[in-house]
Amino acid sequence: MTNTTATRENASGEVLPHSLCLHCGEALDSSNTIESNGKLFCCNGCRSVYELLGALGLDDYYSIREAQNILKTTPPADPASGEDYGYLDSGSFTDIYVKEEKPLTMNFYVEGIECAACLWLIEKIPGFVPEIESLSLNMSDNTATVNFTPAKKFSSFPEAIKKFGYKAHPLKNDEDVSGLKRRENRKSLIRLSIAAVCAGNIMLLSAAIYSGARGVFEEQFMLLNLILSLPVITYCSLPFYKSVLGSVRTGRATVDIPIVFVIFAGFFISAYNYLTGSPEVYFDSISMFVFLLLASRYFLRTVQERLNDREPLGKSLFSSNRVLVRDESARQFFYQPVESLLTGQKIKLAGGDRFPADGRLLSQWAEVNLSVLTGENIPRTVSKGEIVYAGSILDSDEAVLEVTGTGSSTRIGKILEEVEHNYRSKISLSTYSDRYATVFTLAVGIIAAVSFFAVSSYYGASEALERTIAFILISCPCAFVFVMPLSFGLFLKSASDNGILIKDARIFDKLPRVRNIFFDKTGTLTNGVYRILSWDTDKLPEPDRAAVLAIERESEHPVARTIVTYLSGEGLDIPEVAGFRHLYSKGVEGRAGGHLYSLTAESDESRPNEINEIIATRIVIRKDGEPISEILLGDSLKEDAKFVVTELKRRGYLLYILSGDKESNVRQVAYKLQIPAENAFSEETPEGKSEIVRERGRSMMIGDGLNDAGALSSSDVGVAIQGSVGESMKVSDAYILENDLFTILTLIDHGTVIRETVRRNTAFSITYNVAAGAFALMGFINPLAAAVLMPLSSVLLIASSLYGQNKTRTREGAARP
Amino acid sequence: MNIIFLTLGVSIAIALVFLAAFIWAAGKGQYDDLETPGHRMLLDDYDTDKKNQQAKEDTGK
Repeated sequence: MTNTTATRENASGEVLPHSLCLHCGEALDSSNTIESNGKLFCCNGCRSVYELLGALGLDDYYSIREAQNILKTTPPADPASGEDYGYLDSGSFTDIYVKEEKPLTMNFYVEGIECAACLWLIEKIPGFVPEIESLSLNMSDNTATVNFTPAKKFSSFPEAIKKFGYKAHPLKNDEDVSGLKRRENRKSLIRLSIAAVCAGNIMLLSAAIYSGARGVFEEQFMLLNLILSLPVITYCSLPFYKSVLGSVRTGRATVDIPIVFVIFAGFFISAYNYLTGSPEVYFDSISMFVFLLLASRYFLRTVQERLNDREPLGKSLFSSNRVLVRDESARQFFYQPVESLLTGQKIKLAGGDRFPADGRLLSQWAEVNLSVLTGENIPRTVSKGEIVYAGSILDSDEAVLEVTGTGSSTRIGKILEEVEHNYRSKISLSTYSDRYATVFTLAVGIIAAVSFFAVSSYYGASEALERTIAFILISCPCAFVFVMPLSFGLFLKSASDNGILIKDARIFDKLPRVRNIFFDKTGTLTNGVYRILSWDTDKLPEPDRAAVLAIERESEHPVARTIVTYLSGEGLDIPEVAGFRHLYSKGVEGRAGGHLYSLTAESDESRPNEINEIIATRIVIRKDGEPISEILLGDSLKEDAKFVVTELKRRGYLLYILSGDKESNVRQVAYKLQIPAENAFSEETPEGKSEIVRERGRSMMIGDGLNDAGALSSSDVGVAIQGSVGESMKVSDAYILENDLFTILTLIDHGTVIRETVRRNTAFSITYNVAAGAFALMGFINPLAAAVLMPLSSVLLIASSLYGQNKTRTREGAARP
Repeated sequence: MNIIFLTLGVSIAIALVFLAAFIWAAGKGQYDDLETPGHRMLLDDYDTDKKNQQAKEDTGK
């Protein structure tokens, strides 16, 4: 404990200067400083986390963080706000989420893990939360496995880490994908290790034979080689056999066909030659080949999986797990898990809730945010009897509806199914290596057959067979097939260092073919933040401002929330509000300080405005019917949008905007970015977006919303950008971690470099195969030459891949403006 | 020179022992998470007097 007090002093001033928030390290100025006991913070969230850590004696957290050189962290939300996890304790949820009964285990995905200090802090939790027995955190996929005491208080974990500013999402207990992946990973690791042991020993024995072991030694060593290569061609090569069987069934060529052919031909010819006493055995080449192949594929897989795990958990649409359902017999609303919702049930939602199902509105009217279908945050008014769609958000007060469709029978559920289907058929396309291997195998087969007859007419059949086998072995695109995964893996890594998570290396096949680039508008080209662009508050007396704030605080509408945030910092003396109500489809009104105020949206949006701003709404404030002020609200273009769009145009891409927003807003964006009006599509449905992308072809789609998911999955290259909903991330090929558009250029650059690398590797591989193949047919290639040539060609190809990867790095440093 | 076959047998046997150890470790999941244990090890210094960590009483949850 003595240690602890010392660090607390450190943290309070000696080490960190006073102008930084003690918790998150944010620079402080007069507007955002909160003082508490002589310590300075940027917000209440930071203050309460700091004080809590102090009270628990856990302020070592700060010294650990400092030791890791992490001086800033994301400021936590105010712990008083946020989700209430009480529902986790109710019986109906335990079935869905409890992983094991004994010990009582639940898994959580934890948001906000940044460094070892977080690990330390979270693993301390069992020390002061009596309901938690033990827990362990996995930092590579940000999941926590938590064992609870028989008290079954599952909410204790999310509640506890909420106080520290993290967020936990319970993970369902169904045989999750990660468990399967984990087992698959262990298996391939074991395969790899067996291949390594066998190949290593075979190489040792072969070295002895090549350097002159003869007689009984040669004979016995070869026998040992034969035995050692058995596990390699059986257990270790199993994945190749499975893949070939699969490709035979679906009638598609894969690169594994020549691989299996070489493994079989090499092994059986060698075994036959051993038995007949001929020295032409290739056990060493084959087992080394299998080992290298397994190793490079394992490498690509682990890189890819690590990237997929790093992918932030999307704000899934149906993340809210419970809903108030009316029980007719008890005449009351009870919480029920969303999964068990039935058609015909009546559900009640509060302002700000997401509709968990399609339903017919039973309330008089409701303001509904349809961003899930349109991508836009401005709500629409829905009247009684109309259908509201799952995934949209209720922006007015309470609403009651009768469920008409749940899960996959909702409109959004159908869209998502379609999207999934598109995505799956897209990822099953054949790859470059597959096509290359197909052509190659055919060519090798034909040449082998022709030359067999040619050679046998001169030297006799047995010599011809020898040479043909040597030819097939040496000209298998071995090096090529295992260098490709290796170089893809390296590129995935370098892309991820640049803020791009690539789900599937196949994206590199398709990137160079892209001609049409489609952008979503809101959240992609623009910031997607609805904010006040201009409002002359100085001309508005303080009591009026206070009244506006008081009235808007009552509403969940995005306009209202924007105005509230805008005014909150002023420390206004907020009056009581009476008679607050939403005006049908227009705005709000209420009585405050003896006057009737109303805030309503008026049309007329197209006014000249500053360069980056997109005006969407004009709000007029009226006091007792007299207009007293007006507010312009809207979105603004991302800072680099103009630069990136110009650069893409310079490179000859055709650019399009696909938006669900109103025409006037889309026109403003298109005009500012100088995208031709006929390429700017407005008021598109998710289905429409997808259709446009499919029609144009050779496409790259960049988007974030669920309404883009269809277009993302039907484009050749789908790129989801930071802040995307989970469903869009799932069907995209790449995910950009930075909230800028510049990274798109980086992605395209990566595509160019890898295309060069692939071309170089292909050219080299063809040259090598033609030369070595010719030598083999002329009878110059024996097992020793094969054992030298095959690894040599691999080394050259690996060097070529590394060279390409370095190139992306240097390119990176120079390009950023 | 027949001693070679003995040493050969011994070396392969040793290799098999290590292979078995590796397979056992991989099967137990020791290679599942290569990141967290590295961090955890460095944090031990902060927990030398674990018994003092009776924060349980401090919060009185």
